[in-house]
Amino acid sequence: MAVAAAVRAADSDPEPQRPARGGQQGGLGRFIGYRLVAGLGTLVFVLLFNFFLFRMLPGDPAARYRAVKSISPADLAKIRDELTAPLPQQFVAYLKDPLALDGISSWKGQPVWDLVQGRAWPTLVLLGATTIVAVVIGVWIGIKAGWNRGSRFDKVSTAVTLLFYATPEFWLGLLLILLFSTGIGFFPGIFPSGGVIDSGIDPLSFEGITSIADHTVLPAVALAAVYLAEYSLIMRASMVDELGQDYLMTARAKGMMDHMVRRRHAVPNASLPTITLIFLNIGFIIGGAITVETVFSYPGLGLLTFEAVSEQDYVLMQALFLVFTMSVIVFNIIADIVIAVIDPRIRT
Amino acid sequence: MVHRSDRTARGLVAASLLCGATALGAVSTPVAAEAAEDDDIFRVGVLQDIDNLNPFKGITAAAYEAWALMYDGLTGYTAEDFAPTPRIAESWEQSEDGLTWTYKIRQGVTFHDGEPLTADDVAYTFNRIMDGRLEKTNYGSYVAQIKTVKATDDSTVVMKLKNPTPLMERLAVPILPEHIWSEIDDEEIRQYANEPDSDPPGGVGSGPFILTDAREGQFYRFTSNEDYWAGAPNIGGVEYRLYRNADAMVQALKNGEIDFADDLDANIFAALEGTEDIEARSSVYYGFNYLTFNSGAALTDGTSIGTGHPSLQDPQVRLAIHHAVDKEALVDRTLDGRGTPGTTVIPPLYPEHAEPDDPVTYDPDEANRILDEAGYPLGSDGIRTMPDGSDPLVYQLYARSNSETSQTTIKFLQGWLEDIGIDSTAETVSESRLYEIAGEGTFDMYEWGWVVEPDPDYQLSTFTCGQFSYEDGGTVYAGLNDSFYCNEEYDDLYEQQSTETDRDARTEIVQQMQLMAYDANAYIVTEYYDYLQAYRSDRFTGFVPQPEPDGAILFQYGTYSYLNIEPVTEENSSGSAAGGVSASGSGSDSDSNTGPVIAGLAGAAVLGGVGLWLFARRRRSADSDVE
Repeated sequence: MAVAAAVRAADSDPEPQRPARGGQQGGLGRFIGYRLVAGLGTLVFVLLFNFFLFRMLPGDPAARYRAVKSISPADLAKIRDELTAPLPQQFVAYLKDPLALDGISSWKGQPVWDLVQGRAWPTLVLLGATTIVAVVIGVWIGIKAGWNRGSRFDKVSTAVTLLFYATPEFWLGLLLILLFSTGIGFFPGIFPSGGVIDSGIDPLSFEGITSIADHTVLPAVALAAVYLAEYSLIMRASMVDELGQDYLMTARAKGMMDHMVRRRHAVPNASLPTITLIFLNIGFIIGGAITVETVFSYPGLGLLTFEAVSEQDYVLMQALFLVFTMSVIVFNIIADIVIAVIDPRIRT
Repeated sequence: MVHRSDRTARGLVAASLLCGATALGAVSTPVAAEAAEDDDIFRVGVLQDIDNLNPFKGITAAAYEAWALMYDGLTGYTAEDFAPTPRIAESWEQSEDGLTWTYKIRQGVTFHDGEPLTADDVAYTFNRIMDGRLEKTNYGSYVAQIKTVKATDDSTVVMKLKNPTPLMERLAVPILPEHIWSEIDDEEIRQYANEPDSDPPGGVGSGPFILTDAREGQFYRFTSNEDYWAGAPNIGGVEYRLYRNADAMVQALKNGEIDFADDLDANIFAALEGTEDIEARSSVYYGFNYLTFNSGAALTDGTSIGTGHPSLQDPQVRLAIHHAVDKEALVDRTLDGRGTPGTTVIPPLYPEHAEPDDPVTYDPDEANRILDEAGYPLGSDGIRTMPDGSDPLVYQLYARSNSETSQTTIKFLQGWLEDIGIDSTAETVSESRLYEIAGEGTFDMYEWGWVVEPDPDYQLSTFTCGQFSYEDGGTVYAGLNDSFYCNEEYDDLYEQQSTETDRDARTEIVQQMQLMAYDANAYIVTEYYDYLQAYRSDRFTGFVPQPEPDGAILFQYGTYSYLNIEPVTEENSSGSAAGGVSASGSGSDSDSNTGPVIAGLAGAAVLGGVGLWLFARRRRSADSDVE
């Protein structure tokens, strides 16, 4: 639908040169191909960078055994042998299996990808809830505020969203726990303060789904508040940019209603930066919810990262960093392609 | 003006309503309803994950706690004073020469899958550890002196030893079912998760609780073993819930999501005191913090290493510094008073603890006097030098980045050293980095801590010459000795106590050793810290402290509280206030809720102020925009 609207917008937009139909298709294909190759290049760079990054970290991974349990130096040396091999040898092993598909987490003693898979779905649930709430509300506020620049709605919403944008999300999370989990005075606590699901429930049953939703509300609100603010501010700014454009005057001159001008012409053109941002943010939220997931003990990839770092689990960290960089690269490419589809000017 | 009947906006509103509806649906499963179903499940909030349920793999305290629920040890520790006590071994006796130990195995014990536990399972478990590599990581120290383990009949296990050892009464090794673990070979055991859906099915032990649900990073659920040989627990089960945020865990305790919160910080603990229906308990614990000196770093072969200041090899200098340290102030400032000033390395809650007759007191004047007398002259800049005027006394200190106590202690220490004419630079590093620094001997003093087991052997070994750093493949690694205290007489006593099987005779040697290290000022034990826990007194009653009466009520050597607690009912509730545990340390007059609320409101007010200011600014600029 957005694409259709955008194409219609392009029809009435006098600025961009619209290439012939065949050329347009070829251009898009070539563009996508180019982006994929560039993305692949970035990925290779990240793979190599990852290897050296984790081997530059200080500390002795076997040391964590020391303070916890009686262990003889000889046994410690054995453990250490298993963790340290000559660098070239490690590099070859790494290149054979850069995703650490065979990797065992030193912290949990389980295959790394079992851990990552087990933690992926809570993050995806959180990501989905956050993105929907932030995009829907944020974009709506941005459009309304931008279109009516200087109105009371604009002033209030800009002040409030700036406030949210400046709020550290973990602090907001703590406040939410205090307000909605513990409750204050006569105000009862209604949401759980941590976790993703109550024990003893099948996550796929109706009960399980409501329990997950129940646990996701507070972390999603904490995260969404920040992203919502970002989206509405960007959307408002691009709307304001479009306000004085000639094509809007042309549209009005044709006798279009104000809300039609906004919906058919202004919004599609103004939405490009926000759409790019939304996709980029999806890539980032996958790994970037570390603080919120930690505050809410929400067992997703962000919390797993926190744990991997604090437990010095290099194999796990390596796998996670790769997942995060890959998600950023993939959503970057998707963002580029979506924009290219919507806006023909990009493809040349 | 904008038309209100905008279709896009309406679509958006509908979408957000949908989201709202989902959220509302979620609200309709209130926390209270869930609690009602699981009324007799004891829910424990923990900050540290059970890193692995496989008793050969995990190393965290939480993992040991879970194994204690699932498995029985061959022997155990009493709640009163950690003395050895029968578990799976009903009784035992040693031969004249102490080299043959015969254990009578308890009959009628069954594993959770119904199979009987026999002497064969005991022999299998010990042989697996002795023959294994990974298996030795957690239990190697128990079997170090064992030559053979044989089941001579269904109820008898005979162990032959290389040397006599008192450890034979302290074999807290979880007894595993041979019919399951024999299917897991040396390679598979490295990845064996030991969970109900593992292959072969895991978690099968003979302990008082049965593992039913393990969700990595979330919770671990156990139901009561109705057939437990020592009697079924009075509760329906136990659940550990993992929190990565101590504040959230405490909120969960307040709103009744959990019944017990383990291992709290002093400031969080203080906020809980006096809260209705919550009992905050400060217990004596077996951990201590210490300052160590580099009294001559070397490898086990005697090669000197590191960059330690020569003055610290002089016992008088170490004594002077000991006099300069105000331990009372440290307990007050770093532990909020939740602890006691320390002396020797075996904490006072163990019967083996030795208290010096004439402990070193805080006395900077005495410290200066000792240094003057020992011939370390004050330079013109107020810094002492070595007796020959070289090497000003400037020390390199280290603190641990993950411990505020550590950093505060080192800050205080810098001031105290200055008082006695010693300059210093301090650095905060991660524990793993500090471990390297300790091994390489590139420090003068640092702060760290130990957690001491009921058997004193391991802790005493940290002052033996054999535990100096060692070299392996060109890299120097730390041994256990991070003070580089080395004394032949001490080492001889260490050998003696490690083969002395008479408990009283051994205690005497052990006490002598503690005092020896104390008098040499190998360490400054700064504080024995308390263990802070809190529980809902309206939910469960009957916690058993270990040791009695001031010890911890959960995370013990044993499962005493888990087996003794029962849900609070009208009959037992009247007595619970006084009888739940011998309650100590509660009754602060501060209202727990006020602190966070005021902080929250203050924060909100600041934010609101910033918001108003931005709003006003926005309006001004908007006004100028619009002409």
